[in-house]
Amino acid sequence: MDLMLSADQEAIQASVRSFLDDELPMARVREIAQGGAKALSPLWRAAGALGFFGLAVPEAAGGAGYAITEEMVLFEELGRVLAPGPWLGSVLAAHALATAGNPHADLARIVAGEQQVAIVDATSAASSIVVRGNEVSGESGYVADGDADTAFLVVAPSAILYVASGSGAQVERRPSMDPTRAIAVVRFAGVRGAVIAEGSDAVAALLRRATLLSCAEAVGGIQRTVDMSVEYGKVRKQFDKPIGSFQAVKHRCADMAVRAEVARSATTYAIVSVRDGTADQDFQVSVAKILASGAYVQNAADNVQNHGGMGFTWECDAHLFVKRARSFEAAFGSRLARLDQLAESFRGA
Amino acid sequence: MEITFTPEEERFRARAREWIEANKPTDPPIENDLKARRDFDLAWQNKMYEAGWAGISWPKEYGGRGASLMEQLIWYEEFASAGAHEPSTLFVGLNHGGPTLIACGSEAQKSFHLPRILRGETVWCQGFSEPGAGSDLGGLSTRAVLDGDDLVVTGQKIWTSFANIAEFQELLVRTDPDAPKHKGISWVICPMDAKGIDIRPIRTMAGHQDFCEVFYDEVRIPRANVVGQINDGWRVAMSTLSFERGTAFLSEQVRLTRMVGELIELAKQTPLGGAAASAGDRTKRTIDDSDIGRRLAQMRAEVEALRAMTYRSVSRTARTGVPSSEASLIRIFFSELQQRVHALAMEILGPQILEWDADEQPITTALGTKRRRIRETWVFRWLLSFASTIAAGSKDIQRNIIGERVLGLPR
Repeated sequence: MDLMLSADQEAIQASVRSFLDDELPMARVREIAQGGAKALSPLWRAAGALGFFGLAVPEAAGGAGYAITEEMVLFEELGRVLAPGPWLGSVLAAHALATAGNPHADLARIVAGEQQVAIVDATSAASSIVVRGNEVSGESGYVADGDADTAFLVVAPSAILYVASGSGAQVERRPSMDPTRAIAVVRFAGVRGAVIAEGSDAVAALLRRATLLSCAEAVGGIQRTVDMSVEYGKVRKQFDKPIGSFQAVKHRCADMAVRAEVARSATTYAIVSVRDGTADQDFQVSVAKILASGAYVQNAADNVQNHGGMGFTWECDAHLFVKRARSFEAAFGSRLARLDQLAESFRGA
Repeated sequence: MEITFTPEEERFRARAREWIEANKPTDPPIENDLKARRDFDLAWQNKMYEAGWAGISWPKEYGGRGASLMEQLIWYEEFASAGAHEPSTLFVGLNHGGPTLIACGSEAQKSFHLPRILRGETVWCQGFSEPGAGSDLGGLSTRAVLDGDDLVVTGQKIWTSFANIAEFQELLVRTDPDAPKHKGISWVICPMDAKGIDIRPIRTMAGHQDFCEVFYDEVRIPRANVVGQINDGWRVAMSTLSFERGTAFLSEQVRLTRMVGELIELAKQTPLGGAAASAGDRTKRTIDDSDIGRRLAQMRAEVEALRAMTYRSVSRTARTGVPSSEASLIRIFFSELQQRVHALAMEILGPQILEWDADEQPITTALGTKRRRIRETWVFRWLLSFASTIAAGSKDIQRNIIGERVLGLPR
């Protein structure tokens, strides 16, 4: 038993962090987040060149041959800087295409960062999408970072399809409350895609992966709120003292650190459970989502509070985490939905 | 990254489980019969010793099992999962006094005391807190004056669990009143039968009497009982407290997980409004209430996360070899969760909690002695849970530790 990062994982972490520190300072994030696929394209190619999209893709298919545990490291770093763009869809599509029986021609382009893929959760209540064979029809709920030039990974209740860009899906971009994550509604009118996998087991497996990588991304954001508050608490002075020396602020920061450790532990444990396919993996996924969700929402709010008047401004980055916390919470089964599901499991017949 | 244990560790788990299941004692004495609890705990400890399970974390050279960190984790998990009786009167000896002697004691101190603690022959208590020195432990004022080969101790300690059934006490005294407050303290082994010691039990809000206050009136303790150097007691005491925040709390976390399971069962069995309600919808179970259901689900998720947190902390310690200050994060999360769990039990039970007897006494009937164990009641556990954010460093002090030592915020 060991829940700390391995040497390989630490190396991945260092490589991703150094890349993101160079490429995605917060000003740049704000600049390109709503710019669509074109604005993200240089970042995507650079990330592809470093192998970030193929971490869990088998080596034979051009990837690094790692597992979800290494993808977790990537997503935590992405979450730390609020990296914009359809990372989740692209990473999941690369893995799904590479592990399908008959790999799609786009796989190499996705791994290379030449094709962005957004994920369409057609299992959510907001979606009216119906899949028949390889044909997709209906309207999606909100699709994160969907754009005219992106491909779509369509996750329906009993099948997973890959819809290449230019296949005829109509993308309508919508104004996004979360400035670092664009949203769109996508309409499919008999659009043809490639069936990657069929059956509810395959769909459940992909949704577990999607949920947990988004939890890992949240953990990065949660940790960042702690770091921001601690840094500010050391430098901001009132009454001739750094505000972090006051217990009201110090203890709030301590609570934020506790939540961060809780969310990180639950997420890490769930990710290893899913990698190993343990009997309780679905339960562990819900535990991770419930705790990461609660932690992100509360930590982001506390971080605004710790920054005082500045924290309330558009200029200060604190609000970006408040908003990201909500877009994380809304996707792949909300906290309340998962609590109800868990409660129902206690009730028995 | 692994969440599974090695085949060798799993074999250890199987052996531990089998032994605990076959040997765990049943029918412990009632809460306030301290003498009986002492005898019961010592006998249980001796049984563990004879079978080679005592002092799971103690080094082999001092008679312990010298178990690896993973084996310790497994042992505590199995111990608590089996519902095995926790020898709480021996906690200080096994988890504070003994480990401190191992770290800082002289050869003579170690060879006399360690075997007795491990074999279940002596009970230890703690003499740290004072009426004027709680969170600010360094401000303690019980003084000790060197007189020949003796220290002469005068003052008062408080919150000393089991003082009235203990042979020895780990006692902090001020030996240099002129030094800065953390520099003038000594750590002394105090024999509790020494002349001039007066012990008075304190009744807690839960009704039980584990606590005492201890008065010292010119108590003579041999200088040879000082552990470490005179005036170096703060450092010695800190080595004790780091043990307290280490693995010793593992089994209470497992017990809390069991408790949440019991709480879910309780909510299934209890009609909404409580069993003793004269009105209300008796056909609806408490578990069917959506608010209660969500809160139970949240707690179920939280105890699971607590375990993951502990696993991460043990992983970190296994890597670095030292207990991490991150243990304070777990402590805060655990203690507040424990209080939420027990407060929810009160809501689930409803009005039936009102009838509860804190004065548990053995009731002698024609059929023998009938005993009611308050520890098995939700009300007692709920009342006891108020202590979990006070004892072993209040939650406010824990938050200071996290803020200053983990996050590096200014004092």
